[in-house]
Amino acid sequence: MSGLTLDGVTFRYPATERPALREVSLEVAAGEVVALVGAAGAGASTLLLVAADLAPRVVGGTLTGRVQRPGRAGLVLPTPWTQVSGMAFTVWDEVAFGPANLGWPREEIVRHVEPALAQLGIAHLAPRDPATLSGGELQRVVIAGIVAMDPTLLLLDEPAAELDPEGARLVWRLVRALAARGKAVVVATSDLDAVPDVADRVVWLAEGRVAAAGPPAVLAEEATCAAGLGTAVAGVWRAAGLPPPYPLTVADAVRAWR
Amino acid sequence: MRRRHPFTLLALAGALPALAWILPAPAGGMATAAAALGLALLPAAGGGATVARAAVLTAAPFWAFLLLLHDAATALAIGLRLTTMVASVVWVVAALPPARLVEALVARGWSARAAYVFAATLAAVPVLRARARRIVEAQRCRGLSPRGGLVRRLRALRALALPLVLSALHEVDERALALETRGLASGARRTALAPPADPPAERALRWGLAALCAAALVWRLA
Repeated sequence: MSGLTLDGVTFRYPATERPALREVSLEVAAGEVVALVGAAGAGASTLLLVAADLAPRVVGGTLTGRVQRPGRAGLVLPTPWTQVSGMAFTVWDEVAFGPANLGWPREEIVRHVEPALAQLGIAHLAPRDPATLSGGELQRVVIAGIVAMDPTLLLLDEPAAELDPEGARLVWRLVRALAARGKAVVVATSDLDAVPDVADRVVWLAEGRVAAAGPPAVLAEEATCAAGLGTAVAGVWRAAGLPPPYPLTVADAVRAWR
Repeated sequence: MRRRHPFTLLALAGALPALAWILPAPAGGMATAAAALGLALLPAAGGGATVARAAVLTAAPFWAFLLLLHDAATALAIGLRLTTMVASVVWVVAALPPARLVEALVARGWSARAAYVFAATLAAVPVLRARARRIVEAQRCRGLSPRGGLVRRLRALRALALPLVLSALHEVDERALALETRGLASGARRTALAPPADPPAERALRWGLAALCAAALVWRLA
């Protein structure tokens, strides 16, 4: 079953000449994790807005092509401070904000909020005032708020940007766990070293187009490394003048070295 | 006071300015201004003298203009009414947590979206104040002092206002996207997580305030 289908999508923001997305086609299956990589301005965040049905519906602009998402989509943006509702006394209430907006009965809200808090490792923060949290803690609260809404399609825009290394590892584990439960996940990230462990597929966007797509090994190819989008290991291998194929991970490098 | 039903706080904040304009000046305005400033002095308003001081400082420029434009009696009459309005608004912003207001409005059948817009106007004041403080600190780090003479202060004000407005506009965009994805406009009737209690005594107080305003109006028109 498909979690998201984009077919020849071109999107232009209001009052701009150049399209932010050009003829993008992408299919994400349920249970699959797709990583979007690219330089700043390549169109990854825009693609997530289109996938979340926020562009052009909320941000304006014009869209051509076909977008299909069979279920509800949940989007996590990179800045945690702008995503909190500002209407909650406690972290628990903040995570319950989305489910409450969907009109779920209170018992169902509790059934979704408690596991979401546990999955993000923030159950101990439940009684705290969101205004007193650090950026990293707040980002986890925001992700928990989206997870609690039980979306079929999860869209994450730089979810680890505000997190410490342990927090980032926890979020990446959660992404895999959600995919294992049948969620389709699209994540725009510059944490390229995490991609081989997290993503099933990588889509490289350049100037709004799909420049390459394939398994995570794409991040060890000459073209992606030359564009600064290879993993650290592949980049070091290449910079050292060692011959291709470049290793994707440390384990690959060790195997190749031996 | 924060435990009172949000509608009771709003009723008080609405009735005092209404009475200030209905009752004869200057005695009416004096009584309502005293009542509003008295409410602002309550510790539950969020800091006692801090709230009352904010109300007085906000009202001060109005007094200055009134004294320039009118004779003393007119300035006193209008000034007391304006002070009542300002103190009531400052007090209700400090004493009424927006989250409780949203819960109360949703419990009364308002759509979550409309309730949020209404409550966000109250929530905007402390958020903007906190951001302004951060911008001032950042400008200080870059050598711009907000203290000193008038010209210096005006220059500092410009350096504060522009980033404050631009960052607020940018945040509005992102917040709209975040709220949308969190179902605020889902069309479903929002589940009230903790609707505030509305005891009969408070309902009676609200009706009493409405009746008082109506009676004062009838008395004045008669």
